[in-house]
Amino acid sequence: MAERYAISKVNVPEGAAVPELVKMKMEKEEKLAEEKKQALAAKQKAREEERAKLKERTVAYEKEYADTAAELVKLRREAKLNGNFFVEPEAKLIFVVRIAGIMKMSPKPRKVLQLLRLKQLHNGVFLKVNKPTLNMLKLVQPYVTYGYPSLKTVRELIYKRGFGKVSKQRIPLSSNDIISDALGKHGIHGMEDIIHEIYTVGPNFKQVSNFLWPFKLSSPKGGFVNKRHGYCEARGGDWGNREELINELLGRMN
Amino acid sequence: MATARPVVSIYNFENPSEKTGTMPMPVVLQSPLRPDLVREVHRDMAKNKRQAYAVKPKAGYDTAAESWCTGRAVARIPRAPGGGTHRAGQAAFGNQARGGGMFNPTTIWRRWHRRVNVTKKRHAVACALAASALPPLVMARGHKINQVAELPLVVSDGIQSLTKTKQAKEALKKLGCGEELQKVIDSKSIRAGQGKARNRRYVKRLGPLVIYNEDNGITRAMRNIPGVECAHVDRLNLLRLAPGGSFGRFVIFTEGAFKKLSDIYGTLKSGAPKKKGYTLPRAAMANADLARIINSTEVQSVLRPKMERYTHGIKRNALKSKELMEELNPGSTERRAVHLKSSQKGTPEYDEVQKKKKARIEESKKYNKEHKKGDETFYKTLMKAFEAKAAADAAKKAAEKADDEEDEE
Repeated sequence: MAERYAISKVNVPEGAAVPELVKMKMEKEEKLAEEKKQALAAKQKAREEERAKLKERTVAYEKEYADTAAELVKLRREAKLNGNFFVEPEAKLIFVVRIAGIMKMSPKPRKVLQLLRLKQLHNGVFLKVNKPTLNMLKLVQPYVTYGYPSLKTVRELIYKRGFGKVSKQRIPLSSNDIISDALGKHGIHGMEDIIHEIYTVGPNFKQVSNFLWPFKLSSPKGGFVNKRHGYCEARGGDWGNREELINELLGRMN
Repeated sequence: MATARPVVSIYNFENPSEKTGTMPMPVVLQSPLRPDLVREVHRDMAKNKRQAYAVKPKAGYDTAAESWCTGRAVARIPRAPGGGTHRAGQAAFGNQARGGGMFNPTTIWRRWHRRVNVTKKRHAVACALAASALPPLVMARGHKINQVAELPLVVSDGIQSLTKTKQAKEALKKLGCGEELQKVIDSKSIRAGQGKARNRRYVKRLGPLVIYNEDNGITRAMRNIPGVECAHVDRLNLLRLAPGGSFGRFVIFTEGAFKKLSDIYGTLKSGAPKKKGYTLPRAAMANADLARIINSTEVQSVLRPKMERYTHGIKRNALKSKELMEELNPGSTERRAVHLKSSQKGTPEYDEVQKKKKARIEESKKYNKEHKKGDETFYKTLMKAFEAKAAADAAKKAAEKADDEEDEE
């Protein structure tokens, strides 16, 4: 807190008599400036330590991602070798984008979209995959499109369009301090921590995802196919689950 | 307001350059200045001298007019009856008619007078007296007091015994009111508006108000001097102390009157001896020096320090800005540099990558050699499906051909 003291400089002309109140103010400001200097030095030190730790964690995360990917490759090859079928792991993470506008929305899907924090066209949120969320998505199928985002998509969304909810305000994630202040108690101190928690759907996914303000995406460059129909229909459409192919869409919307 | 009561000099009316004595300023003259109060009380008090005016009660209705109703190709307004004169058939009664009554006739029972609370009136007078003790306010009201020695101007009691106007004028001039009196004389002009035809032909500015205690001729001496008014200190009128609602009238006190002010109004503690149940007005703030209050140690010691505002600036995209990426993801520039090196020929990272690639290709070739030879190649396994079908088709064709040949034979 002392780092943010606003110290005002009092300009006293050379040789002029200093009024009593001005003198009092100058002394007070000096003391505060001293406190501020010390607080800033302490903050700088703490910051360097934090950054070193964050760097280590990031390297560990990179390794983790690479390892999990390599593991999957290995298992697929093994299965093929033995003539077995490899059952791909079910997705843990979903990214949902609201496709429909706000006009003429029936009450139940409207409520579900509110609960999912999709209050505006092209808003997107990260969701954990479990029975309740899947059932909610069932209710709003024609109004959203969703799928399983890749690591690249998650990173790009959070770096480019990441905003945090700080005292009910939408604050850009321009510094790790913002993240540390909000999520420090869950062990999340930086952007890479957020990305890891989201992508691997960790124990604090709910807190991290809720901290992230719903993503406000652009309309996709190149357009939708047909928002009135489902993605899986033969005639071509956009709503519903498009699994891995959400990444292509998000590449155009981000 | 002020902590110590200032002392006012009393001037000898015959020889104003000499002072006959001093007196402490009465507490009345240190009342808080309330222009809003004075204006309000003056507004209401000034209404009390009004005389009623109204149109005659019967004005416009003193005819036996009746509407001709419809069917006679004239408007339905009531018309004067009878014949033989221009007046017959003419419209009457309505405000639009010639000779008709006015809309909403003025009445004599309009509420002409206003009552003002006694305390309010007394506060207003105290306020107006206080304003008269302040040179900037008196000057702002328009009085010429540059030659006046001191405000409040207190003159020795001898002036109360003057009987001749000439003497009174001399005395005032010697006190420095010459400019003021001249201002009044110069300002005489014909009134704008109908008042000039109603026995209020001329207007002129107001000069000094002389407040006395004992009238030994002073009123009669002063009354013909243009602009000068006299008032007994027991009976001070707000309409004279704050003409037009603006306080700061130029006031000249006699010694006796000045002394009596303290007797009439008293102090904040004692109350006013001559006005039952009345105490002088108190200021809303005892200490109005806000700067000093805010900067005092008592206040500053319980304030938290002023903080810089949080500024987030424009959001920048970390994927485009390398500095921002380094800020958010420490070590990313390093890692990126290392990664880039691996595509530059000659660097150890490049060699590392090439080595891995070579090893991978070797592995692949080895695997293929082992597992995918002879009939196990991709092509052969693919074609097996087609060959089976091709063989089946050929057999079927041959069987048909055999049947055809049999039939022919």
